Amino acid sequence: LVIDASQKFCNNCCRAGGSLQNKPLTITAVIATCLKNYVRNCTLILYLAISFSQDSVLHHPHQLCCSCSKPSCCIMCLFFICPLDAAGECAALHRQQSLPHRPPVIPLVARMADQNTSGTPAMTEREASRLDKFKHLLAGPNTDLEELRKLSWSGIPRQVRPITWKLLSGYLPANAERRESVLQRKRQEYFGFIQQYYDSRNDEHHQDTYRQIHIDIPRTNPLIPLFQQASVQEIFERILFIWAIRHPASGYVQGINDLVTPFFVVYVFEYIEEEVENFDVSSLQEEALRNIEADSFWCMSKLLDGIQDNYTFAQPGIQRKVKALEELVSRIDESVHRHMQQYEVEYLQFAFRWMNNLLMRELPLRCTIRLWDTYQAEPEGFSHFHLYVCAAFLVRWRKEILEERDFQGLMILLQNLPTMHWGNEEVSVLLAEAYRLKFAFADAPNHYKR
Amino acid sequence: MQTNHHKERLYKILVIGDLGVGKTSIIKRYVHHNFSPNYRATIGVDFALKVLNWDQETVRLQLWDIAGQERFGNMTRVYYREAMGAFIVFDVTRPASFEAVTKWKEDLDSKLTLTNGKHVATVLLANKCDQGRDVLTNNGIKMEQFCQENGFVGWYETSAKENINIDEAANCLVKHIIASEKDMLQSEVSDTITPQLEKDKGGTCSSCFRSQ
Repeated sequence: LVIDASQKFCNNCCRAGGSLQNKPLTITAVIATCLKNYVRNCTLILYLAISFSQDSVLHHPHQLCCSCSKPSCCIMCLFFICPLDAAGECAALHRQQSLPHRPPVIPLVARMADQNTSGTPAMTEREASRLDKFKHLLAGPNTDLEELRKLSWSGIPRQVRPITWKLLSGYLPANAERRESVLQRKRQEYFGFIQQYYDSRNDEHHQDTYRQIHIDIPRTNPLIPLFQQASVQEIFERILFIWAIRHPASGYVQGINDLVTPFFVVYVFEYIEEEVENFDVSSLQEEALRNIEADSFWCMSKLLDGIQDNYTFAQPGIQRKVKALEELVSRIDESVHRHMQQYEVEYLQFAFRWMNNLLMRELPLRCTIRLWDTYQAEPEGFSHFHLYVCAAFLVRWRKEILEERDFQGLMILLQNLPTMHWGNEEVSVLLAEAYRLKFAFADAPNHYKR
Repeated sequence: MQTNHHKERLYKILVIGDLGVGKTSIIKRYVHHNFSPNYRATIGVDFALKVLNWDQETVRLQLWDIAGQERFGNMTRVYYREAMGAFIVFDVTRPASFEAVTKWKEDLDSKLTLTNGKHVATVLLANKCDQGRDVLTNNGIKMEQFCQENGFVGWYETSAKENINIDEAANCLVKHIIASEKDMLQSEVSDTITPQLEKDKGGTCSSCFRSQ
């Protein structure tokens, strides 16, 4: 990637243009230079650097992404939507003449439509082409997982999501020939556990665990009819009980119940065409339901393996991440951080849940599923990248936060953020901002500490 | 966090007890005057605010709804800080949740004391009383005794669903909080000597007796 170095970039970091002038400069070099001295204004440099890049993805850098034709579903294009826009702080940036044009306004309908999960009939050409790319990649005898990750980062089409999630989580092997036998073996193994352990749920040493799960299951996704069906609740109970007793260092921790949901929903999609929310599972073949159960168990286990210290005694992983979130926010948005300090809001008071439930309580389920596309595509998505997503999420509400003038108001806002109408667009913006933050801080762990 | 402005009081109140006993439902009933069987399990802590008129003063209650599973973690210490009162809730249909009451009380008392060294006012709530009365609560005298022995200032049979006794229990707690606040102020006064110059007396220096 090469950009025109004679272009004036950012008043903050690239003003010492001497070394930059007359030399083509790679984006990485620019970013490295600027981000050494990272301040919020340096968003500008990314913004410009990418807009002037010769990347083939961006034939029309001021308008649409050439691979998806949307202004916001490709990571590169996302930088055209200034991440600070939502925060209402980029007026100054937009006034600058050297900036590329603003992206076209996204129609309201598109904001609601979730192309990935609802499978709306009006699939655009670009979406069809994306789906083809996935299908092509998945068709070979050996799936190139690196390519699959790249493709999945900006969202997985609903039709190929089940298989893609299974591959990305490491549940299924890249080698297509081996997949069927692996599935059979793993499903057998899971039902072996059920036979061996599930009767012990009423034994003295397990009954507390089972009781807690039993109380929590009816109130997991209480508003979605699918989860009110007895057979679905029994599946969740079995998955959680088996996982808990096989992981005595943590056991069952409230919140883990939520984490089964996205897997279950996505794997039900494998067998149905219609909407899942009101789907009656008794219309599925018994074997299909058993497969969904076992696959959900194993993929949830894989996920939890990566974040186990979130759930061991005293939840050290969560403590650490909440602390890291605080440091990060203090660096990227000092006024928000100061505001919270001023009114004595502690990050633990709201962000504990963000970490413990991976933002599932803050976002609609469709958004969580989209978020997890990226988490599975991103190295250490659940355990590390999530932190940057949380930081981007918090700063996303800076205007609302700064308007609150007491502890009560802040807490009520932070625990009830208005995301009910969010869809893919909002999640994509969030992910792009998180990616930018990761880029800025990932290789400089001390960078965000003052 | 706690302010003693002229005509406005702000108290932090904890709501604790085992999971699924109805803590969130009680708070929603008290604050929003409604009930739903569909609340999800609380994770960490949920926050709510109730504003009361109390003897021509405004009283704001910060209600801290603490996840039932938290007793097994060690986060409660963080959440308890600066609280002035607490509800401990159990479910009358589940004896195990009553057995946990003393554990919650111990946890609370070991981590939180007022500036005068006393424990915070705590009211015991026997919730879901609409679902039949378990042996536990049939004997009022036994419960009175239990409350005395375990340092509860009172107890109520409550139903968030049927709106039974929630306001009464809250009023009882607020009454005791205000009393304990007065007690704290008094104990502060009695421990403190406030030096004053009395003008008309024309005081003398205590070491040389010369007048100033």
